Amino acid sequence: MYLVDITADLNDEDETGYVWTFLDEARDPAQIHPGALVVAGDEEAAAVCQVVDLVPAGDGMIVHLRLLPGLVDDYRALVERALAS
Amino acid sequence: MSGQRIEQRPRLRAEEPPARATVVIRGGRDTPDKLRSHVQRTARAWSLDGQPLLGISVFAVLGEPLDDLLRRRFATFRTIYLPTVGGLADRGFELLPTGQRPHFTVRLRRANDQELGELQEALGAVQPNPAYAGSEPWRGED
Repeated sequence: MYLVDITADLNDEDETGYVWTFLDEARDPAQIHPGALVVAGDEEAAAVCQVVDLVPAGDGMIVHLRLLPGLVDDYRALVERALAS
Repeated sequence: MSGQRIEQRPRLRAEEPPARATVVIRGGRDTPDKLRSHVQRTARAWSLDGQPLLGISVFAVLGEPLDDLLRRRFATFRTIYLPTVGGLADRGFELLPTGQRPHFTVRLRRANDQELGELQEALGAVQPNPAYAGSEPWRGED
């Protein structure tokens, strides 16, 4: 189970080729800015993503997310190794 | 600050519809409630012919083998659905060529409980994603 920074359907892509969702689906919208690393998805399917940009659309603000390689658990292991000594 | 829904009609890719036998991929484990939230998200952002577009995202297996597409795009999903274009069409679901190939939007007409249930059935049984655990794209790609 994941507690994501921003809820998204990781299947969603638009013409940019990036995953997209709405800014108001973030737990803390202040954390969502271009370049930020976030965990996106839902409790069952999540991925580490980089925020690309924010674009107004519909009744809100669309966030484009670059899907980064690897699993969330891979990043946890990476950080644990880096901080081990 | 907000803007208009993004009209998809002029953005649809000009290409032949995929054959009925074409497999499409949807990652994750859906329920009618999750499908409803995804459909509503699409309708907030996108329109088709001026009306909110009700739909969910899938990827068609076009131009590259299924295993390659799974490893390239679906490695973060533990589970996947693998319906066919024909199976979706038989239940009345049209595929719109949105975004970049091979992304498509499965279009719904009403997104009521009945239609969401039909979509769930049309997706078929959820199955383990063979590209999930061992994919490790940053270590395993050649």
